[in-house]
Amino acid sequence: MNSTLVAGVPATGAEPPAPARTPTDWRGAKMQGSIRRRYAAERRFRLLGLGAVLLSAGFLVFLLWTMVGNGARGFTQTELRLDVDFPASTLMIDPAALAGPGKDAALAGADIEGATTAAATAAFGTDGERLLSDGAWLTVRDAIAADPTILRRKAQIWVPAATNIDLAAKGDAAPEDEAAYARLDKAGVTKTGLNLTFLKNADSTDPTLVGVWGALKGSLLTMFVTIVLAFPVGVLSALYLEEYAPRNRWTDLIEVSINNLAAVPSIIFGLLGLAVFLNFMDMPRSAPIVGGLTLALMTMPVIVIAGRNAIKSVPPSIRDAALGIGASRVQVVFHHVLPLALPGILTGTIIGMARALGETAPLLMIGMRAFIASPPGGLTEPATVLPVQIFLWSDEVSRGFVEKTSAAIIVLLVFLMLMNGIAIYLRNRFERRW
Amino acid sequence: MTTDTLNDLAAHQQVAPVETLKMTARGVNVFYGAKQAINNVSIDVTQENVTAFIGPSGCGKSTFLRTLNRMNDTVSSARVEGEITLDGENIYAASMDVVQLRARVGMVFQKPNPFPKSIYENVAYGPRIHGLASAKNDMDRIVEQSLRRAGLWDEVKDRLTDSGTALSGGQQQRLCIARAIAVDPEVILMDEPCSALDPIATAKIEELIHELRGRYAIVIVTHNMQQAARVSQRTAFFHLGTLVEYGDTSDIFTNPRETRTKDYITGRYG
Ligand SMILES: Nc1ncnc2c1ncn2[C@@H]1O[C@H](COP(=O)(O)OP(=O)(O)OP(=O)(O)O)[C@@H](O)[C@H]1O
Ligand SMILES: [Mg+2]
Repeated sequence: MNSTLVAGVPATGAEPPAPARTPTDWRGAKMQGSIRRRYAAERRFRLLGLGAVLLSAGFLVFLLWTMVGNGARGFTQTELRLDVDFPASTLMIDPAALAGPGKDAALAGADIEGATTAAATAAFGTDGERLLSDGAWLTVRDAIAADPTILRRKAQIWVPAATNIDLAAKGDAAPEDEAAYARLDKAGVTKTGLNLTFLKNADSTDPTLVGVWGALKGSLLTMFVTIVLAFPVGVLSALYLEEYAPRNRWTDLIEVSINNLAAVPSIIFGLLGLAVFLNFMDMPRSAPIVGGLTLALMTMPVIVIAGRNAIKSVPPSIRDAALGIGASRVQVVFHHVLPLALPGILTGTIIGMARALGETAPLLMIGMRAFIASPPGGLTEPATVLPVQIFLWSDEVSRGFVEKTSAAIIVLLVFLMLMNGIAIYLRNRFERRW
Repeated sequence: MTTDTLNDLAAHQQVAPVETLKMTARGVNVFYGAKQAINNVSIDVTQENVTAFIGPSGCGKSTFLRTLNRMNDTVSSARVEGEITLDGENIYAASMDVVQLRARVGMVFQKPNPFPKSIYENVAYGPRIHGLASAKNDMDRIVEQSLRRAGLWDEVKDRLTDSGTALSGGQQQRLCIARAIAVDPEVILMDEPCSALDPIATAKIEELIHELRGRYAIVIVTHNMQQAARVSQRTAFFHLGTLVEYGDTSDIFTNPRETRTKDYITGRYG
């Protein structure tokens, strides 16, 4: 090709000849110095990066160490063997009544608590009941319900020990409690095992009876509502805004609003939820459905923003390719754009959901801080969630709550890791599908 | 390259005696925003002949080609004026269904753009969305035939499940050609289909064009003069957004009316 005639325009004149360059000395001292400096810069950068990673890993290890150190004890519970002489006790239950449908009434009518106290006094001396958890009689009741025949004999029932004894067993109590525990231990009536109560129960005023299941179930239900709402709505909004909406002032306004929403402090969403869902729409207070709705409002902008970025990064040539063989807009979006954008969308969803799972403030506003002693049965029943439960327990004065708080934090972290693990698994699957 | 070799090549190209108009363009202008990329172009594409668009880079060949299947609709700044018809029907009319138009007027893009899916899926996608294959072995046949025609079958027959993007650039382009013909369009628009291909693959594509000639109306954009001379019966020379000359390929290469055409095909500029 003749360069002077590019595009048919003849060259107007010869350019002045460029001055001759001195040949570059690639092996000279100056070059060597710049190579050394380049290596040094790379080493510095690597060290800095490594340092940053180590620092954050250090924080993480410290967090896990303290949590596991404190919290692992929350998963165990010391029990005492209580000898109950049922025939000699004041307890009057007709074993026949326990077989029929009147079982609950029969159990409720009997003074099992009194019988338990009496048995404790008999077994451990005066004040013996103070060695037992306030809920020890519930264990006795459950034992009777499970096997009414024990009413006719002397029975040995393992009941939860009081907080002081429990802490003493774990080597963290006042000297007199330690002494009391040592005596019991010597008598061979103690054992420390997995605290099933903690995994089964909901909140309680007695730290030996509290459980994390109520809050965990509340969190599960709330997250369910959040993802079912926020994910489809967020993804569809992102798709619409990127693929269909015309570029004009209105869509600019929407874009700005969404970016602002993502930055609004979460407590404001709580107030919004309170005003809209509770006061205006009259939804039930403290219910997972309201918590989920509130958190969905908060999570949606995050998903929309991440989704739009992921959709934007799908190369336009893929859209052209599909349109060029006669795919409709919807087919282009659902066959090509969405699958390619999904990993990015899922990353945004992980971030949004993780934030929602750890959120406390907005849920306090809609009443999820209430004391709720039984796990929620459904989306509209009163519930609390893990972070709020942690907040409430950390506020308790009784020392028994310290380890329960840490244990609940471990449960929250495990939940978080499971949720993220599933999301990352899904993301990798979609990335590998091609 | 001398004019003579081109003349020799072009002399072999016989314009079909019977001609049916497949597509026509009348007074087409294309604007990108305020900038005019195509200025008053009128052209006929016939069913029987291969039409080549030649011209220097940036003269608007791709732009004009994309008006023929309304791919310019996807560029928000682009605006098309004038009338373009397919079988006498205005393709910019409100009654024209763009999705069907693009199935009837297939396109191979300048840059290879396979889907990030398997090779099989790349070819099968078009027939599937248009419901062209009723059973799995119908689809298998369409896929094999399309890949064979595009000269890719032997290279990929053992790895149809591999990703289309894992192929070499030239293989990707042939995959895109296979994808376009799998839909069995009426017109095929090819935007420099051989720019990433070696001479062997190029020869295969040219063979394919020969084979498809008559069955499909074909429009091909190329920077390679010999290729235009070899495969086309009609040649259009574009320059700065205008159609300078359009006629039988043999005439354009042996006896151009315009000096600009002559300068371009003899390599004096462009
Ligand atoms: N999407 C776009 N937006 C704005 N201007 C565009 C766009 N696409 C092309 N143009 C301009 O339109 C003119 C014609 O471009 P076109 O791609 O049609 O050229 P071409 O003849 O195909 O060139 P080449 O041979 O290099 O592919 C060029 O000046 C280009 O800058
Ligand atoms: Mg082009």
